[in-house]
Amino acid sequence: MIRTDSTLAVQITSLNKWYGAFHVLKEVNLTIPSGSRVVICGPSGSGKSTLIRCLNGLEAYQQGTVTLGTVRLGDNARETALARRQTGMVFQNFNLFPHLTVLSNCTLALRRVLGMPRAEAESLARHFLEKVRIPEQADKYPAQLSGGQQQRVAIARALCMNPRLMLFDEPTSALDPEMVKEVLDVMTGLAQEGMTMICVTHEMGFAREVADQIVFMDQGSIVEQASPMTFFSTPTHPRAQSFLHTLLH
Amino acid sequence: MSILEIWLGILQGFRVTALVTLYGLVFAIPFGLVFGVAQYMTTGPARFVVTSVIEFWRSSAVIILLFVFYYALPLAGLALSAMTVSAMVLGLNIGGYASQAVRAGLQALDRGQKEAGQALGLSRSTILLRIELPQALVAMSPTFINQLIQLVKATSLVSLVTLSDMTFRAKEISQIEYDPVPIYSSLLLAYFIVCYPVALFGRWVERRINPVREARCAV
Amino acid sequence: MQFDIAFALSTVPSILSAIGMTLLVAAVSCVGASAVGFGLELIRRSGGPGGLFVRFLIDFIRATPVLVWLYCLYFILPFYGIRLGALATGMIGLSLYYSGYLAEVFKAGIDAIPKGQAEAARALGLGRMDMTVFVIAPQMLRNIAAPMGNYFVSILKATPYLAVLAVPEMLGRAFDIASDTYRYAEPLTVAGLIFLGLALLISLAIKRLEIRLLGPTAR
Repeated sequence: MIRTDSTLAVQITSLNKWYGAFHVLKEVNLTIPSGSRVVICGPSGSGKSTLIRCLNGLEAYQQGTVTLGTVRLGDNARETALARRQTGMVFQNFNLFPHLTVLSNCTLALRRVLGMPRAEAESLARHFLEKVRIPEQADKYPAQLSGGQQQRVAIARALCMNPRLMLFDEPTSALDPEMVKEVLDVMTGLAQEGMTMICVTHEMGFAREVADQIVFMDQGSIVEQASPMTFFSTPTHPRAQSFLHTLLH
Repeated sequence: MSILEIWLGILQGFRVTALVTLYGLVFAIPFGLVFGVAQYMTTGPARFVVTSVIEFWRSSAVIILLFVFYYALPLAGLALSAMTVSAMVLGLNIGGYASQAVRAGLQALDRGQKEAGQALGLSRSTILLRIELPQALVAMSPTFINQLIQLVKATSLVSLVTLSDMTFRAKEISQIEYDPVPIYSSLLLAYFIVCYPVALFGRWVERRINPVREARCAV
Repeated sequence: MQFDIAFALSTVPSILSAIGMTLLVAAVSCVGASAVGFGLELIRRSGGPGGLFVRFLIDFIRATPVLVWLYCLYFILPFYGIRLGALATGMIGLSLYYSGYLAEVFKAGIDAIPKGQAEAARALGLGRMDMTVFVIAPQMLRNIAAPMGNYFVSILKATPYLAVLAVPEMLGRAFDIASDTYRYAEPLTVAGLIFLGLALLISLAIKRLEIRLLGPTAR
């Protein structure tokens, strides 16, 4: 199922970021229409995680603009917060709250941010736990779950806020190999429902199957942007070629 | 009384402070090592005995222990000098804490270390002395340095059993001349001058050791 | 002279009757030290000249003996016309002294929370206040429960220091009996054993509480 909805979801213009003297993001321009599934890949240290962390304000940047929907981040604190609320984020290390049950992890923001009553929040949370296929773990604590289960809870937690855009920051990098698939399956399901997704990942099988756009970054710049077909068969940039070469061999 | 005279007076007590610390270590180090290792290696009733001895020295209020041994040992026919009793009580109290650090350090080691030693055919004692203890002691060295500071500070208690350490001298001076502000602030400063460099050294050691620990956690 | 067990037993009721004072001093000092320590840590985290001063103050406290702090407050405050009495002075002294240690506990408790926790809270849209109350504070509490309990026991074991200021807690009462009867070993031993029992009991209670508090989230 390919959605051709071309409403603008994210627009990044001339984004520049420095850590001290180190130039992490160099003149990044990227347009992501709503409904698209973008995979960002590249060698470690290429700035891909930093880029998607800029999209929901976890990282500050020095130059350029990030527009979510119609809101330019940073223009107006209230609107920024609103726009950010429509963005869900899944982290490499899950970042579940260890002192809360799985269910409370999912309901915390619903109740505190959206002011939803407890019963409503819990039924919504159970709905999304069902969706990531672990409804039976609702009353456990994160430490009692496997890594793959924890990451699926993290996805459910993000989905509870009804985001229009999901950001995935290497969601399977901290997982044991046998757990990677269960998380990728959930992500693939989301993509098939038309969720706008931006994923930083090294899972090239997933990229090939699910993405409609591959963004290859190196040393803080986007050096190649193509459809999966083109990217995997005929990468043009030499660094993309050598990156694929080392991944496949 | 001039500030210089006050400082000279307090300094006269430094020798006793240093001696009690030093003799205290003579008790603390062997006790901490032996009982820490014993608690790590034993099980069942033996472990209960070891733990009881450690808990007696560690969980008692050290000021009362000092008085009890100072007054009760002569009744048991043991006439020890105030210096010896002080060094023993303060030393074994800190040694009790040190033994917990030794045990925790040994327990925190990766099991693989012991197993690798066994796989190489090393004896249990060789594994302990050559593989486990060296790593545990290095890992816990910031804690030991902290405990040394605790020992130095605890020596101020010996002034209560007639030993003329820095605290005793300060009290003596303030009885000669009622001038508490310079006398007691000098005394605080004197302990600070002794302990703070040790604390800084401890922090330096901690920084040296920590990167290794972080690397272990990241796996 | 021999250790007289019958006499020792006869001193138990009198010494035990001072346990209320001991517990009062300990409880007030625990609350005081926690409150002041948390305040100190917040100031230290805020940086600036205040933070720098507090950083030094904490280092200074940790490098000086509690006994000397008690003397300082007891003798210096009246010199400036501040007369609080021995009990209040003692509790203020213990609170101030142990606040330096508890500040470090709070620091470690906050520092140990992974950065990702705050990031996840922000990514979910939680405000600063909600994040502190629902995400950071419960985890800090979990991290500090054990070391905080240990310092509470340390404070309990430091209450007999107030005997040197003539506060009638258990050690003070034991000394009263001793100077009336000229027998030191028995009442002091009794006081020591009661303190040891109390310390072990409270350690155990704290450990129980910890287990309940941490529950299944403990790794």
